[in-house]
Amino acid sequence: MYAKTVLIKDTDTTREDKTREAYTRLLDCLREDNLHDHVQVVRVSDIGIYEHGLVLKIYPDNITYANVQESGLKRIADSIRDSKVLEEFVFKPKARQLRLVLRNCGKINPESIDEYFASEGYLGLKKAISDLGQQKLIDEIKLSSIRGRGGAGYPTWLKWNFAREVKADQKFVICNADEGDPGAYMDRSILEGDPHSVIEGLSIAAFAIGASKGYFYVRAEYPLAVERINKAIKQAYDHGLLGKNILGSPFSLDLEIRLGAGAFVCGEETALISSIEGKRGTPHPRPPYPSVKGLWGKPTVINNVETLANIPQIVLKGGKWFSKIGTQTSKGTKVFAVTGKVKNSGLVEIAMGATLREIVMDICGGTLSGKPIKAVQTGGPSGGVIPQDLLDTPVDYENLQKLGSIMGSGGMIVMDEDDCMVDIPKFYLGFCVEESCGKCAPCRIGGFQMLNYLKKISEGKGEISDLPQLKRISQAMQKASLCGLGQTASNPVLSTLKYFEAEYKEHILNKHCPAGKCSHLITYNIIEEKCKRCGICFTNCPVNAIVGDKEKGYSVIQEKCIKCGRCFDVCKFKAILRK
Amino acid sequence: MAKLTPEGLDKISKAVIIEGDWIKVGMSSCGIAAGAEEVYDFFVEEAKKRNLKIEVKKCGCAGSCYAEPLVEVKVEGLPSVVYGRVNKDVAGKIIEKHIIAKMLVNDCIFDSVV
Repeated sequence: MYAKTVLIKDTDTTREDKTREAYTRLLDCLREDNLHDHVQVVRVSDIGIYEHGLVLKIYPDNITYANVQESGLKRIADSIRDSKVLEEFVFKPKARQLRLVLRNCGKINPESIDEYFASEGYLGLKKAISDLGQQKLIDEIKLSSIRGRGGAGYPTWLKWNFAREVKADQKFVICNADEGDPGAYMDRSILEGDPHSVIEGLSIAAFAIGASKGYFYVRAEYPLAVERINKAIKQAYDHGLLGKNILGSPFSLDLEIRLGAGAFVCGEETALISSIEGKRGTPHPRPPYPSVKGLWGKPTVINNVETLANIPQIVLKGGKWFSKIGTQTSKGTKVFAVTGKVKNSGLVEIAMGATLREIVMDICGGTLSGKPIKAVQTGGPSGGVIPQDLLDTPVDYENLQKLGSIMGSGGMIVMDEDDCMVDIPKFYLGFCVEESCGKCAPCRIGGFQMLNYLKKISEGKGEISDLPQLKRISQAMQKASLCGLGQTASNPVLSTLKYFEAEYKEHILNKHCPAGKCSHLITYNIIEEKCKRCGICFTNCPVNAIVGDKEKGYSVIQEKCIKCGRCFDVCKFKAILRK
Repeated sequence: MAKLTPEGLDKISKAVIIEGDWIKVGMSSCGIAAGAEEVYDFFVEEAKKRNLKIEVKKCGCAGSCYAEPLVEVKVEGLPSVVYGRVNKDVAGKIIEKHIIAKMLVNDCIFDSVV
């Protein structure tokens, strides 16, 4: 058995991968030092650090070296022999993930309540019931300053306090797991990876306001999450953590799952309540807010999955502990689902205040294509597009809002220069038009009209007067829509207009799409000088728009071309010109 | 089952100790979509066939969706590591090399996973 393990990886992507050479060289050095039986060297696929040259990690010492030159390997081998640390190579990471919500995801078996017990499971609930009581519990949550993770960022303790103060014979708690933003899936992962933490959070919320009945509102598209919540609820009942007289106290709580049919608007709390009541999922004007008059007219607290998953830790470790993490106005951590043109797509949990660049470049490894980032979209269809020169903004609720985006539920889509800033808002607006419930005119009609303008622009029929018109409709929708869906649906358009107005104008005035996305504005042609007459475009064209043969060469018949870009992608000689 | 009391809960939290060697397979939607079920079944079968003293467990998604299926392996005396993009082939190597020969497998580790 080896005493030490060295992981090795060349992280510089601008040159050829030198991992293998460095690996062999290090093995030689270790042999010279007579260490080859004590230290094993392992080449890894991904070492979690990017663009820092040769990176080595030494276990069990837990030392990370970066930017190591090949000549440095001998010194590293010697340092292992002498049990020393080479300070000059030690890597100090700028951005690190901090896992509070995802603390158990990927660590424990979500189907075993025992493993949850072993990681402080239900001790938060116990502390709330046995030690704190309602008032002190709400005080702790107030002290933590946690804000709702569903999008709007409303202080959680306020919601709870309103509902607690209202006198009623029955109160309800609801877990909002109707996650619908395109590209966002952190709630699903929490429910699938650690369902008990959400149940515990919901139980604590119920105890705080005095509710005896709770609902999980989950999308039917999440069958595995539903299965695991069901199992977890059953286990909690079996252990007396749900049902009558929980942990021997007078507090009782019943939990039930309600499946949503996948309507985006049902994530809005008043629409969600209608849906649970068995009615059509459409929003209602507020006030009265649900914390005063919610489900079946009773005081109801609705919290998002991620908010609830935070609660047990806050109760257990105290509000003060939590309030030390994050920025002045936004405490704690946030989970982002980073997708799009990014190398390492997945869930990232960081303390509030980390910058977008740290998330995308340092943690997620930059873009997949290696091309520069053009923009990052946050907050899904209600959010905005943040251009690359503003990526150094620390992430919190206020900062993102100032940039014309929102924190939202945590979707983060990375775009490179191949993404068109007219096409992106067109996609999001199309989504909102499709998902609009149709109850109020600003959202129903405004969204449709805006989409028409965007279609017009992307088809090359846009006029310069369309731009102020888009802004006017956006403002009307923001002011007059009934719920958040309509109020925020224009954000992707407004933010792209703000930061990428030149790109809109390029579409309108020059009938040109710089990213080569808008199919009406591009043509494909074969550059004769570059063409090697291999015929790969000819065989791949799905509509036979490429004619010719290996003798005479090939050309594109523009009338037949459907602008699918297949020829552009398959040509190995870059002989297809996209304009 | 007996209903828990506050004291009972304290006791149970301390009583559950997870020790010994284990293999954890990420079995959330993302992992399953990438083929984690096949990998999980393979480990269970191999462990039984070769009579290995190792527990094969399921867990949720660790967040590194790009590298699914993820498999974390803890063997006494070796650092616990996460293997990514595991298929039956890699799973076989993990059994042969990591678990039996006590050597980490080259070119398969994703040390980016938190």
